[in-house]
Amino acid sequence: MDKKIEIIVNARTTDEAAKVVLEKAIEEGIETVWDRLEAQQPQCGFGQLGMCCNRCAMGPCRISPFDDAGPTRGVCGADVDLIAARNLLDDLLVGAASHSDHGREVVEVFLETAEGKSQGYKILDETKLNAIADEYGIDTKGKSKEAVAKEVALAIFEEFGTVKNSIQFAESRPPEKTKETWKKAGIVPRSVDREIVEAAHRVHMGVDSDYVNILLHALRTSLSDGWGGSMMATDISDVLFGTPKPVSSYVNLGVLKPDMVNIVLHGHNPVLSEMVVKASREKDLVDYAKKMGAKGINLVGMCCTGNEVLMRQGVPIAGNMLNQELAIATGAVEVMLIDYQCIFPSITKTAGCYHTKVVSTSEKAKFPGAIHKEFHPGNAFDTAKEIVKLAVENFPNRNPDRVKIPNNPMKLMAGFSVEAITSALGGTLQPLIDVIASGKIRGAAGIVGCNNPKIKQDYNHIVLTKELIKRNILVLETGCAAIASGKAGLLVPEAAELAGDGLKEVAQSLGIPPVLHMGSCVDCSRILVIAAKLAKALNVGIADLPIAGAAPEWYSQKAISIGAYFVASGVYTVLGLPPKIFGSPNVVQLLTEGVEGVVGGKFAVEPDPVRQAELMAAHIEKKRKALGI
Amino acid sequence: MKTVFVHPERCIGCRHCEMACAIEHSKSQDLFGMLFETPRSKPRIHVELGIDFMTFPNRCRHCDPAPCMQVCPTGALHRDVETGSVLVNYSTCIGCAMCAMVCPFDIISFNKVWSIQLDHEVNTKCDHCIDRQQAGNIPACVEACKTGALEFGDANTIIRSSRKDFTVRTTLALKGEEAPSLPPNIEAFRDIMAKVSQFGTLG
Repeated sequence: MDKKIEIIVNARTTDEAAKVVLEKAIEEGIETVWDRLEAQQPQCGFGQLGMCCNRCAMGPCRISPFDDAGPTRGVCGADVDLIAARNLLDDLLVGAASHSDHGREVVEVFLETAEGKSQGYKILDETKLNAIADEYGIDTKGKSKEAVAKEVALAIFEEFGTVKNSIQFAESRPPEKTKETWKKAGIVPRSVDREIVEAAHRVHMGVDSDYVNILLHALRTSLSDGWGGSMMATDISDVLFGTPKPVSSYVNLGVLKPDMVNIVLHGHNPVLSEMVVKASREKDLVDYAKKMGAKGINLVGMCCTGNEVLMRQGVPIAGNMLNQELAIATGAVEVMLIDYQCIFPSITKTAGCYHTKVVSTSEKAKFPGAIHKEFHPGNAFDTAKEIVKLAVENFPNRNPDRVKIPNNPMKLMAGFSVEAITSALGGTLQPLIDVIASGKIRGAAGIVGCNNPKIKQDYNHIVLTKELIKRNILVLETGCAAIASGKAGLLVPEAAELAGDGLKEVAQSLGIPPVLHMGSCVDCSRILVIAAKLAKALNVGIADLPIAGAAPEWYSQKAISIGAYFVASGVYTVLGLPPKIFGSPNVVQLLTEGVEGVVGGKFAVEPDPVRQAELMAAHIEKKRKALGI
Repeated sequence: MKTVFVHPERCIGCRHCEMACAIEHSKSQDLFGMLFETPRSKPRIHVELGIDFMTFPNRCRHCDPAPCMQVCPTGALHRDVETGSVLVNYSTCIGCAMCAMVCPFDIISFNKVWSIQLDHEVNTKCDHCIDRQQAGNIPACVEACKTGALEFGDANTIIRSSRKDFTVRTTLALKGEEAPSLPPNIEAFRDIMAKVSQFGTLG
């Protein structure tokens, strides 16, 4: 590698497969996210500090960070506390809406499947369906699974609106003590949509002008996501497509195949991609691919759609957020299918430098330059087949001279749903409680969230994960964090060698990795569920457990909502990059200290992954001591 | 001598000064009008990233004696005696870049200007907003700066107040008391960003 390029590549990513392709991209003059970050420097300090309000036409306004110079209030009179809190709630509501709208779409497909109106879908997990029906108080006796499904779907839909003023999962799943803290703080979520709409209302000029009140509603909105929209997305996806079980597959850009038709499934919602998986196995399409000169059809995932199909179908996964442009830059992708969230708006421009066709599939997420094949449950399978056919027909357009695929895809194990973990432990979580109580495992940590080009790709995820398992802390991961660990070889049972003696012994006796891949970013709800189950078994609140969370490389508004619902549920949560609140010492104080007295959890901001691990381990030890273990 | 004094610790990289400068030197002197002009007006003050995500607004210091003036072969650079500003006569500038080579602050750049029809680019460095100054106003960049990073006034007066501040902090330190020069939240943010720069590709 050219020395100059080598320096750039090593500063941008720790993903060895990505380095190979990034070098090619730089040589070919392909613009990537890192170039755009550089072009954006310096980024506005008012924005970074949360001191800029661009909400109404009296503005935009900004508050000076120095009290002896510049304005201290916006035109409307908002001070820096209000502006920072409103900005944060605005970001958070977008994140909560993204998860919840995703959830709604899954429930829509579920309802149409129950009514026999969808194409290609089946109810795959009847046990989980019946368990959810029980939770909702729906009588299942003597009813067909479709009839039960319809009642469950309608019951869930009701909770998106405001008629009922409660969310069932937020009633039946959290431990009593945690629910008590919500009640006392006045943040019990009333519905999925209501909290989001109300949040949007509150940030309007002249509505909520008390930063504390705004931040409390931010917590409530996040709870309607974590225990509502996201949890519905997870649970109903399980019912429709099967609850994940441990599965082995491969990860990194090396999963693309030089001699096959490559389709990348990118985005977050698995509803269409599940059908594409089915379509790609159809004999006529496989034969067609062979006729076109390929050896077959190779589906690979990307980001959380990738996590979804990896968990349930064992589809290999090409990478996380910062790998999306590089997948195209291999020159070997016939079609990148996109649904929504975390897809670079410039992805079609990247694809334009190669033969790759980008196929958009959601009515709410169109990308200029993409071929639009809209997803509808009623003809989903036909659409899926059309997309696969398009990819096959694009195979002859590939220029073999411009193809560079890294070798050595990494092996990984995924699919650790709560059900799978419970079953690996012999049907109950008691063995996990026992090893935590004995101290073999000190506690558990959830590492979640995105990539952010401001941090060398995956570096913080991997260093933090390794530091935690070394300290005998079991690590549960979702989203880009889980993919990062996969690429680094931490999601295989052999990685137990890197763990401390206690965790190593437990992981080896169960034949599992010390780091468990629990799914996509909506599947952070699975982490809530397992935390709730542990707390209930010990008859304590979630805040009393020896657990902690981190989002070391976060970028997205969804991550703000996730971080907030962990904190609101009682989890100490470390952020690797500062949220846009540092202009307001009061908001910082409330979120990093004051909130602990209200909900039991709080935020910390710490970019150094070793220090993150120390903070989390110290918190876990503090909680162990309080529990007397 | 009046000058634009820079307090770099107060710069937060918003680039508001750049925008105000470009507007001031456009034909229409209006944000929206500027966007439709050819040639497009460009800022003469530059906010760039240093280390640890810190920024510095760099502009002409209007030196005296000015190295650029001393080397200009055509005499295109000259001084306005009343304001002490070093100015460029666009019609005699030959774009040789001698001025840029000797500039101690590397702030000279070459662009086309709307005020005169020329085939070549000319030195479009800061003119100290001489028109504004003559009308009794402060330079556009200073007016736009909301953090106090740019301050216009007599250098000695500005320095005197900074010096006083320094003396207070030093004597406080001697007493063993903490005297931060920045608000604690801003200090905390800067510390975090300095760390982020260790784990990332920038700053």
